This record gives sequence, structure tokens and C-alpha cells, in this order.
Amino acid sequence: MHVDLVGLGAVVLLAGLIARLGRRVGLPSIPCYMVVGILFGPGTPGPVLVEHPEDLAVLAALGLVLLLFHLGVEFPVEQVLGSGRRLFIAAAAYIGLNITAGLLLGLALGWGTSEALVIAGALGISSSAIATKLLIELHRLTNAETPVVLGIIVIEDLFLAFYLALLAPVLSESESPLELARDIAISFGFLIVLFIVARYGARAVGWLVGSREDELLAVLVIGLVVLVAGLSEEVGVSDAIGALLIGLVVSRTAVRERVERIVMPLRDVFAAVFFVVFGLSIDIGDFGRVALPALIAVFITLVANLAAGVIAARLFGFNQRGATNIGLTILGRGEFSLILATLAIAAGLDRRIGPFVALYVLILAVVSPLLAANSQHLARRMPDWLLRRGWHYVRDETISTSCTHLDQMRITETGVDVCAECVELGDEWVELRLCTSCGAVGCCDDSPNRHATAHARQTGHPIIEALTAGRWRYCYHDEVLVRAPIGRERPAGASPA
Amino acid sequence: MGKGVHVQELPGIGKRYDIDLGRPDQRISVVVRSGGIRDLYVFASGSADPTAVIELTEEQARKVGAVLAQTFFES
Repeated sequence: MHVDLVGLGAVVLLAGLIARLGRRVGLPSIPCYMVVGILFGPGTPGPVLVEHPEDLAVLAALGLVLLLFHLGVEFPVEQVLGSGRRLFIAAAAYIGLNITAGLLLGLALGWGTSEALVIAGALGISSSAIATKLLIELHRLTNAETPVVLGIIVIEDLFLAFYLALLAPVLSESESPLELARDIAISFGFLIVLFIVARYGARAVGWLVGSREDELLAVLVIGLVVLVAGLSEEVGVSDAIGALLIGLVVSRTAVRERVERIVMPLRDVFAAVFFVVFGLSIDIGDFGRVALPALIAVFITLVANLAAGVIAARLFGFNQRGATNIGLTILGRGEFSLILATLAIAAGLDRRIGPFVALYVLILAVVSPLLAANSQHLARRMPDWLLRRGWHYVRDETISTSCTHLDQMRITETGVDVCAECVELGDEWVELRLCTSCGAVGCCDDSPNRHATAHARQTGHPIIEALTAGRWRYCYHDEVLVRAPIGRERPAGASPA
Repeated sequence: MGKGVHVQELPGIGKRYDIDLGRPDQRISVVVRSGGIRDLYVFASGSADPTAVIELTEEQARKVGAVLAQTFFES
């Protein structure tokens, strides 16, 4: 057996170097890896480092499997189930708008129905890696909209599991509708089995792989993951979803944190190989044919994202800056789009999907960090009525915390300096809180009776103000500290200009 | 958590702690990433954009914490 170590080493080293250069100008690493693959592959004139990309297929498959496995391991199940209704609506709007836009474009391109389904996913599902890195690099971790951005991304990952389960049977060559229905049933049945294992069998899986030595843990986990991914492929569910679900299973075991730590560097290396190999398979000559569809795809993704950003901002009471930050941060496309394109090509769909998705990901990779970093310019141009009629927003100001109940604040001053209920009981209190809706004064949560919180529970009045030197305000409904107002109401009779 | 510290989950990144310093123009937020890195956000101008953001490793964070908590003594 001949192994082309020189070619592999050279492209991986180059990929790392280019990504390092890219980092200096704020480019995400995924497209950098892909570009190296494209430039030094057999499909592009110039130096060819890897003559036969198919020799690297196993390593690339391992990259794909580890990417999804790691996603499953760190998937915060409890946080997603515990996140409020508003976040689910915001995420549903984001996913719905983007998937629908992608599906319509896919159908309009006329490459086929299966192709349209793949394009819907490739355009609809954003890159968690790119968005998270952007938030850290743009110093936006404390922004009010950041938990919403992250929540949408996490719910998107959950959606990905169901989308992959639906896609796998469609990609398999089922002849009749009956066969297709059977394949979908098998696919979802397999999903349910793995969900049950995740729920009840986590202890057994933890026992199976849970060695105290890191070395053995790594070997056991990788073996298990690759086996489950392979078995999934055998029953026609695609290795991607098998890897994702075994990740969910492992995330419920006691070794979760160690696995996360151990698998991360493996994932990073093999994922890089996966992206490079994807690039190797691209013929640069095909870009011309798919340039127009890719540009249209970028445009509709931008529009769908901004619309979803406005919907989320309305739900959470953010200003224009919040809306544009949400829309433009989740703009990056990367690992999932490339995984979907890989699955499609492996299933023998229209080969134009490869270069189309590659070009789309490349354009967005350059555009999205630039747009996200300059969101204030767009925010300034966004009219107030998009968010809330009759409100005047400080459009481009970053808000650190927000609250949607500011309109219920009526009273901010009081002469009362005792907790009347405590006086009646003859009890002591520590600090006092003023209800900004009705002016009631009660004692704080560090006092034995917690009358202010009891008052809020009883009446549903949202915001209290601390009657201390700091004068902070807290909203019970949104569970946030209320700081600078997100906007102010126009004085009555003012012109709506 | 205790008075004036507000905790917020950041799914996929870690946890954010907003520390209220009792004055409107100064505030500190700390993000503890699940990988151990801490992002120290300092707000000193009353604006919602941070005045400074410092990325600390676990080791560095412990050093800063020890000095702040006065458990660090010159030998």
C-alpha cells in the first residue's frame, strides 16, 4: 500500500499556515482550509500536492464524524429545554426563514428536488464555530443579544439532528414512495433507539468507555464513535447523524468533560483534513457556472438573516443594533454546509452542489465578519417602526442588558423609608425595594420576609428599584438587571418623523 | 448568587457573571468559558461598550483573583 504522506503533510501544514494568516485579518479558519484544498488539488492549474483526494477519504470521514460527535457531546440539552418560549419562537423564525429561502432557491435552480433539499440545509444552517468565534473576537460576550444569538445556534444544532434524519432516506436511492416511507421510518426508528440509549443507557455507555486513563478513554471513545457512525451508515441513516447522537449519549455520562477535552484536538486536526479534502475535490473551473446562483444565495441569506434578527429583536425588546447584531453574527456558514454538500456528492446528486456550496461558504466567510463588525452603520439606517411603533430608539447604541417592560415603569421616587409589612410584623429588614409599577415599598431578598419579591409574585408587576445609593433596577419577568433604557417613548403629540 | 452578582448562561461558551459595583458608570463582567479561559470585561465609561477586555488563562485568572482577594503574600 502506498501512502502519500508528503502530500498530506504539505496540504495540512499549508492549511494551518494560511488559517494563521487569515486569523490576522479576521477570517475564520474553515474557508482557509478549503482554499488550500482548492488551490493545491488536481482540479486547479498550478502545483498539485495531492493527486488522488480519494486516498484521504477515510481521514476526511473521521473529521466529519468527530465534528458531529463533538457537537453532540457539548450540546447543552438542559439549557435548550429550559430556554423560554421566546427563544424558541426566535429560533423557529430564523430556521424557518432561512430554510424556506434556501428551499425556494434550490427549487428555482432546477437541479432536482433532492438537490433543493440539500441546498435548503446548506443555506439554512449556520456555522456555530464561526459565530462563537466572532462573538469572542468582537468583544460582544456581555451584550444583551448574545445569549439570544447563542440560543438560536444551539436550537439550530438540535434542528440539524432532525434535518439529517429526514435527509438521509431522501439521499438513498429509494425507488418508490413506499420504499422512501420505509427508509424514513427506519431512520427515525434508529433515532428513537439512540435517544432511548441517551436517556436510560448512558450509565452503561459510561461504564464501557470510562477508563481512568486518558489514553484508554480516547481509544475507547473513538472506537465507539466510529463504530456507531459506521453502523448508522449501514442502516441508511448517514454516519453524520449516528456520530451526533452517540455524542448526545456520551454527553450524559460522567466522562463528558474529559471526553470533550480529549476529543477537541483530534476533532480540530481531522476536521481540517475534512475541509482540505473537500477543497481538493473542487474543480476551480466550475466556479464560473455557479457564480451567479452563489451570489443570489448570499443575498437571500443576508435578507433572511436580517429579517430573523428583526423578529428576535422585537421579541426581546432590543434596539436596531441588537437586531443587526443577531442577523449578521449568525450569517457565517461553514462546517454544516460543507458536510451537507459532501453527503450530497456521496449520494450521487448533481455535482454542481460542490462548487456552489464552496463558493457560497467562501463569500460569506469574508463578508460576515466584516458586516458583523460594522453592524452599527446598518443599525443607524433601520427605521424604528420595524421594532416597535411609537418608540424612539437610540439605534446604534450597544445595550448591555435589556428588559421589555420599561413601558410599565411609572414611579421611580418615593418618600417611604420603611417596609410597612415588616413594621406590622415587628420584623427587621436589610434593604428596601420600590415597585416601579405601583409604588409599593418592600424589603429585599436578603431580608427574612422578602416582601418585595412576594409583592412582585402576587401582582405580576415587573420592575423593582433598589432604594440604595446604587439605585439599580431588576425585572422579574426578564430576570435581568435593567440599565440604560433601550429607547424612550415619544412625547404625546410629537410628529412621527 | 449574592447581592449584585448576576449569572447568565451562555450556551456553547460558558457562564457570564455581571458584577454590580453600585455605581452607574462602573461595572465588571467576567465570562468563564467552558475551556477555562476567562474574559474580563471592564466598563468604566457608562457606555455599553466595554472600556477594556482582557483574556486570562485559568492560571492568570487565579493570580489576579488571589491578589484581589488578598490571599497573595509577598515572600
